This record gives sequence, structure tokens and C-alpha cells, in this order.
Amino acid sequence: MPALVAGIVIAVPVVMVLLAGLFDGAGDAWTHIRETLLLRYLGGTLSVLALTGALCLLFAVPSAWLVTMFRFPGRAVFEWLLILPLAAPGYVLAYAWADLAGVGGPVQSALREATGWSARDYWFPDINSLPGLAFVLACTLYPYVYLTARSAFVSQSVCALEAARSLGAGPGRSFWSVALPAARPAIAAGLALALMEAAADYGAAEFLGVPTLTFGIVRAWKSFGEPAAAARLAFVLIGLIAVLIVTERWGRGRAGSQQSSIRWRHVSRTQLTGLSAIGASVSCLVLFLAAFGLPVGRLVWRSVETGPGAAPIWDALGNSIILAGSGAVFAFILALMIVLAARAKGPAAFFARASAISGYSIPGAVLALGALAIIGLLPLTLSGGVALIALAWVYAARFTAAGTEPMAAALARAPASLSHAARSLGASPSRQAFEVDLPIALSGAAVAALILFVEALKELPATLMLRPFNWDTLSVRAYAYASDERLAAAALPSLLITLAGLVPVILLSWQLSRSRPGETQ
Amino acid sequence: MKRILAVAGPVLGLALGLAACGNPAPPAATPEAPVAPAEEAPAPAGAAGTINVYSARHYDSDKAMYAAFEAETGIRVNVRESGAPELLETMRAEGERSPADVIIASDAGALYRFQDAGFTQGVTSDKLSAVIPETLREKDGNWFGLAKRARIIVYDPQVVSADEVDTYADLADARLKGEVCVRSSTNIYNLSLMGEIIGRSGAEAAAAWAEGVVANMARDPQGGDTAQIDAVAAGECAVALVNHYYWVRLAAGSPEDRLKTNRTQLSFPDQEGNGTHVNVTAAAVAAHSKSPELAIQFIEYLATPHGQELLTAETKEFPVVSGAAVPAGLEQIPGFKESDFPLSELGTHQPEAQAIFDRAGWN
Repeated sequence: MPALVAGIVIAVPVVMVLLAGLFDGAGDAWTHIRETLLLRYLGGTLSVLALTGALCLLFAVPSAWLVTMFRFPGRAVFEWLLILPLAAPGYVLAYAWADLAGVGGPVQSALREATGWSARDYWFPDINSLPGLAFVLACTLYPYVYLTARSAFVSQSVCALEAARSLGAGPGRSFWSVALPAARPAIAAGLALALMEAAADYGAAEFLGVPTLTFGIVRAWKSFGEPAAAARLAFVLIGLIAVLIVTERWGRGRAGSQQSSIRWRHVSRTQLTGLSAIGASVSCLVLFLAAFGLPVGRLVWRSVETGPGAAPIWDALGNSIILAGSGAVFAFILALMIVLAARAKGPAAFFARASAISGYSIPGAVLALGALAIIGLLPLTLSGGVALIALAWVYAARFTAAGTEPMAAALARAPASLSHAARSLGASPSRQAFEVDLPIALSGAAVAALILFVEALKELPATLMLRPFNWDTLSVRAYAYASDERLAAAALPSLLITLAGLVPVILLSWQLSRSRPGETQ
Repeated sequence: MKRILAVAGPVLGLALGLAACGNPAPPAATPEAPVAPAEEAPAPAGAAGTINVYSARHYDSDKAMYAAFEAETGIRVNVRESGAPELLETMRAEGERSPADVIIASDAGALYRFQDAGFTQGVTSDKLSAVIPETLREKDGNWFGLAKRARIIVYDPQVVSADEVDTYADLADARLKGEVCVRSSTNIYNLSLMGEIIGRSGAEAAAAWAEGVVANMARDPQGGDTAQIDAVAAGECAVALVNHYYWVRLAAGSPEDRLKTNRTQLSFPDQEGNGTHVNVTAAAVAAHSKSPELAIQFIEYLATPHGQELLTAETKEFPVVSGAAVPAGLEQIPGFKESDFPLSELGTHQPEAQAIFDRAGWN
């Protein structure tokens, strides 16, 4: 029952949009889009997803393994530095990287200055391209995979690894044959989140000029004035995400792994020496600089150069925290309801999880259209409390999946024998849910709560559409300046979003390093 | 765990309850959403009323403009800033209950959409008719242009000469192969320019022009207008299509920015022909405004010399009212012949403009 309620709450804005796509005539715009652009959009999205996914894995899994299992210079710092990019929205990284690496930016200017070349005399990687977009998205999204992979590596029994070692497996083989398969569900869950985010990204794709489905959805609506055509494209996007998820589930099969050992031991991280130690440090440093240090440093430079703008930025900070907080609370409760019900494996639970996931893959602008459609049916205007509730609702519809996935992953790693024991001792399903499953799920809840808050803080299009009068948020300010091509002015709100996101990110990292069983450091 | 449920239960209940009930409680009632200081507070004692402005502009200076109007008239101004399409959808959802009194958008085509959807009303104001040129306002008073911009060509004088880029048609000329930088066709500035080309020369000629420009592109459309100026200054291409004020803002910017403008020249196209394409920031009175008189008063204020100054100081648009002070930096822009194409027609051509761009492969 709670799952059904949660599923419906999430599904309503999604369904409103899809109904519009089905029943409203989408007109000439749809015919035009189908004939001229659909393949380009589909190809664009598929390529971005493939490349972003590959880069996310490449950035996240080795670094998570390194900081969890080895000792090398800077390890303790990198352990949490590598989560920081999560706090920076994709569109902010896109602004910063385009400014840094663009043809008029400091790097290329210095190059031309030094050589006397013109921009046409040399080759330089183009950030305004599909690989550029994938790079920017991977920079901001790899922490999902890093977090889930690290928490999986952290919480797996050291004994399993030691058993592997004692049977003669080297570190490489232990990783590929023991640790990686055990962590695979968690990694896949993190990757699924990252890819859904990538599929729904609008800000970065638009700024870098890469035609994707989401780009097409917003364009169908803005340039053609056809929300129904936009809704039909949303159908295609949801279909694509569904295929992605089914593939992931099917690939995993029924294979999951169970921790059977109850013996947790203090982990003795292997000390790296010489070249391998330097290699580990340098690769972590390069990743951190690319994903966070350089672009954010550029923003700091820009905002120092410009000085504060005239707008009251602190009000915007307060508004952002209030809105993101209420959205995160709402989404967190829904996620909890869904995850606990999912243990019962009924159709309601399946429906709830599916609706959460489809909400996550839909751009905020489209969900906001759904919310507006609901408001249009009721005797309401979009002001005051209605606007706040509508916005919190859209945040919940959009981001609940970001909470369900880490919590479900935490539950999936718990030994099935625990719930069997509870049932055999005569616990009712609800008692089992509250006394056995909930505490386990809550171990993944810190990750969930963090992701929900940071996501809501970064959300742009729905906030732009639904916020109450006189309620600017940081993302709205950053967008307003950047869309008006005043990147220097956009730097400060962009930095503040990142800063506001950093606090929970650091809390999370601290909680994670404490959560390791047997960890004393 | 019990603690979590004890907090979570009421919060969710309250959220759902509020969502379900038609008459929303004040926002202060939700524990996670305390009321914002400025949120629809009752008008101060002795105030002359309140207007709600839906604005598609995002300038800090607009806040000063609203404050100046409040100080002068005692009328309180509430603002919702968003993109024009977002505001349009919001108004569609709100229907007759919409609280909007004034709509401001930075494009005549955008205003046309509001008008076409029935969200503006025809207004007669002798003051506005007297000071705003007829070509810059809608004939039935559905909207009034308040600030003006020109879509011009920025070029590298070392590569092309002024007479090679003195018309929009030049951008499609094979001489400029590999020399043209433009931004995405989704951008309203390009859509409006294309709207004028369709309106003047027909769809076929417009398509041929778009194909010609695409064939001349130095790179895929990317970035904003400032990025196009960057590219010309860096030598990546020799010509680009931009709004005049982006160049003016760079010229008033940091030493690096000024270096970019020093390397480039401006061309105001079609001086021998129809004149340079212009567009306006315009305001309309919302169809269901509860206080149309106050709304008109506000728009009239924006058409006073002081209002014009506040409206254009930061944007570097041209004032439309003669005698109004020109914002700093614009004095270096020469006088030019403007196109007299009716701005109210731009919006009607917009979907067709996008379709032509799409078919030409102009992303």
C-alpha cells in the first residue's frame, strides 16, 4: 500500500505529460521532428550515454579500489576529494570548461600568444562536441559510481578477499575475480543513476550544442510551441531508459552475491611503494583536477576578477537550501516507502520503482509541464504555497530514484538469511520491514539523502518554471547570467551551489569512512 | 528509527494534505519551507497597490528598476523571472486565474506567442503612443517595444573587407566558405532574423540562405554570441552574426575583452537595402490582470527617460524613446538604418523558421 501511494505520487506528473503526448495532436512539428531530427537525437543520446558510461567507469572504479585497498601519498585526502565533483552541476562544469578550453579562453590564448599561430593553425580538443559533453557529464556524474563502488568495496567482507589471497590470487586477480563481481550490483546501480542523469541533462547539452533527445524535447516545446511533440520525444527517452535498465537487470541475472561471513576484520591496506605509489597519487590528482579543481578554480578566478554582483546572492542561497531541503525530505520518504515495499516483490512495488525510475529519466522541464497541467485542472494559481508544493513534488518525482537505488543496493548486499530468520521467528511483514529491513536500508540512506539534496539543489529547469514570486535560487541566478553570456557574473552563484553541495558531500564521506566494519581510523 | 518516523509521518502528511486541499495554507505552515521575506507580503500601509510582473529578462539592473518604480509610486512589484516559453506555459496552466499583470520579454516573436495564446490585452495609452515609434509596438496595443537591439555582423578586417559583409546575404556567399561562425538555430535571435527573411523573401529563398550559411560554417553552431566574437578575434573564423550589445559589453570589459573587440569590426547589414534587422524588449498588459491601470502605469514609467535609462543601462540596448540617455558604451556605435519589417510578424514565422534551419542542418 505505501508503495502504491508513493508510486502514484511520483507517477502523476509523469503520466500527465505522457497523456498529453498520446492524446493531444502533436501537429506538424511532430511530423517534422520524426522525419528530420529523431534519428539525430537518438544517435546523439545513445553516443553520449555510451561514452559517458565508459568514462564514468574508467574514472570511478579504479580510483575507488585504490583509495579503499591501498596506502599511497595523499590517499586519505583523495578519498573524499574525489567525491567533490558531485556538488558541481553539469551545466556549471560546462560553462567553466568551455571558458577554460574554448578558443577565446586562457589556454588557447596563451598558446597563440606564445607561438604566434592563429586558431586555425593548430588542433585543440573541442569541448563543444559530443565527446566534450560526455567528458563534462562524466566529470560530474562519476561520483555516483565512485560512491557506490567504494561503499561496496568498503563493506565487503575482508575475509573473502583474504581467502582469495590465501588461495594464491594476486591483488589483480582478487580485484577481477572477487571484489569486482561482488561490487557489481552496486556499481551497476551507480552507473544506472549516472546514465539516467546524463540522459536527462539539458543545461550542458544545450550550452555545448550537442543534439540529444532531451535537447530535442525542450526544443520541440520552445521553438515549435508543441508540448505534445515534446511529450512524444519523452516517450522515446523513457523507452530508451527502460531498455537500459532491463539490460542491466538481465545481465546481472539472478547472480547476486551474499556475504556469508560474519567476521569483520580490520583492513590492512596494502602499502604501495615507488612507481606504483606515484602512479596512484598522480592518477587520483589528475582525475580530481579535471573533474573539479581546474573548472572550479577557473570560476573562483572569474568571480574574484569580477567582484560580487548587485543581486542579493545570500537570499538566493537561503532559498536554494529551503527548496532543495523540502524536495529532498519529500523524495527521501517516498524512496524509503518504495524500497521497503520492494522486499515484498508485489506488482505495486514494481510499479513504484518503475515510476520512480521513469521520473528520473525525464527532464525537469517536462515534469514541470506535468505539474502545470495538474494546477490547470485545479482552482489554483502558481503562487505562494502552491508553487512551493508543486516544486517539491516535481523534485520528488524527478529524484526519488536517486534515493531508492542506493538504499536498494544496501538491502541487496544484506544476507538473505537475515530476513529468512525474521520470518521463521514469526515476524509479520511489517515488523520485518521496520525492524530488519529499515535499519539495513538506512545504511544506504546517507548516500541517498545526500544525493537527493544535492540533486535538488542543482536542478534548474523545473525550478525556473515553478518557483514562487521573488524566489531566485542559486541555480536560477547562475543560469540567468550564463544564458546572458556573463560567465564571470555566473561564477559566484555557480560556486555557491558547489559550496552548498560540498557540506553534505563531506559529511557523507566522513560517514562512509566510519561505516566500514572493523575500521578504526 | 521511531524518531525518523515521528518526523517523517507528519511532514509527508502535511505535504500531501496541502497538495490535496485547494486553498493553500500560507507557506509558513510547512516546517521545511518557511516563508520568504519578500513573498507576497501584504502591501505596506498607504501603498497604492501591487502588480505582478512575469519577466523573461534576468538583469540585476531590473531589480533597481522595479525598486525605483516602487519608490516613485508606492506600487509594490512582485516578479517572476523565467524563460518566455516557461512563462507562457505557466500562464496557460493558470488560465483566467493568472496573477500576472505585466509580461516582459526580450523578443517580439515571444510577445507574439503570448498575444496569440490570448494572454495579452489591447491597451490604449496616449503617453505610450506618443513616445514609442509605431513600428516598435503592436498596432492594437497588445505590446509595446521599450528597448531595441540590432543583429549585426562582426568580422575580422584582416581577412575580409567591409563590402564583403555588408548584407545578410553575404553570409551565404561561397566567398565566405569556411569563414562563418554562428550560434544554434534554436536561439530566438536567429529564429527572429529568419522570420524576417521568410517574411520578406519567402520560404524558398530563406531555405537557400540557410543552406548557404551552413555550407560556409567554420565549425558546428556552438556557444552564445560572445563565443562567436571570441572565435573571430582568435582567427577561427572571419565573420559571425551577433547582437550589437554583446560586442559593446566586451568593449567595456576587461583588458582581454577589449583586445577582442580591437581585433574585430562591426557591419550593420543591408544599409543599402531593407536596413538592419532589429528586435525589441517589449512589455504587455496581461489579459486577466486584476489591475490593468497599474500595469499601464508601470509600462508608461518604463517609457519615461528615467525608466529608459534604467532599462538599458546594463543591457546596452538602444532606448526607443527619443531624448532618452544612451547607455555608456553605445556612443561608439554609429547611427544606422533599421529594417521596418513589422515586428509583430516575426512570431508567426517562428515554427517555419526552425523547420527550415533543421532541414538545412543548422543545429
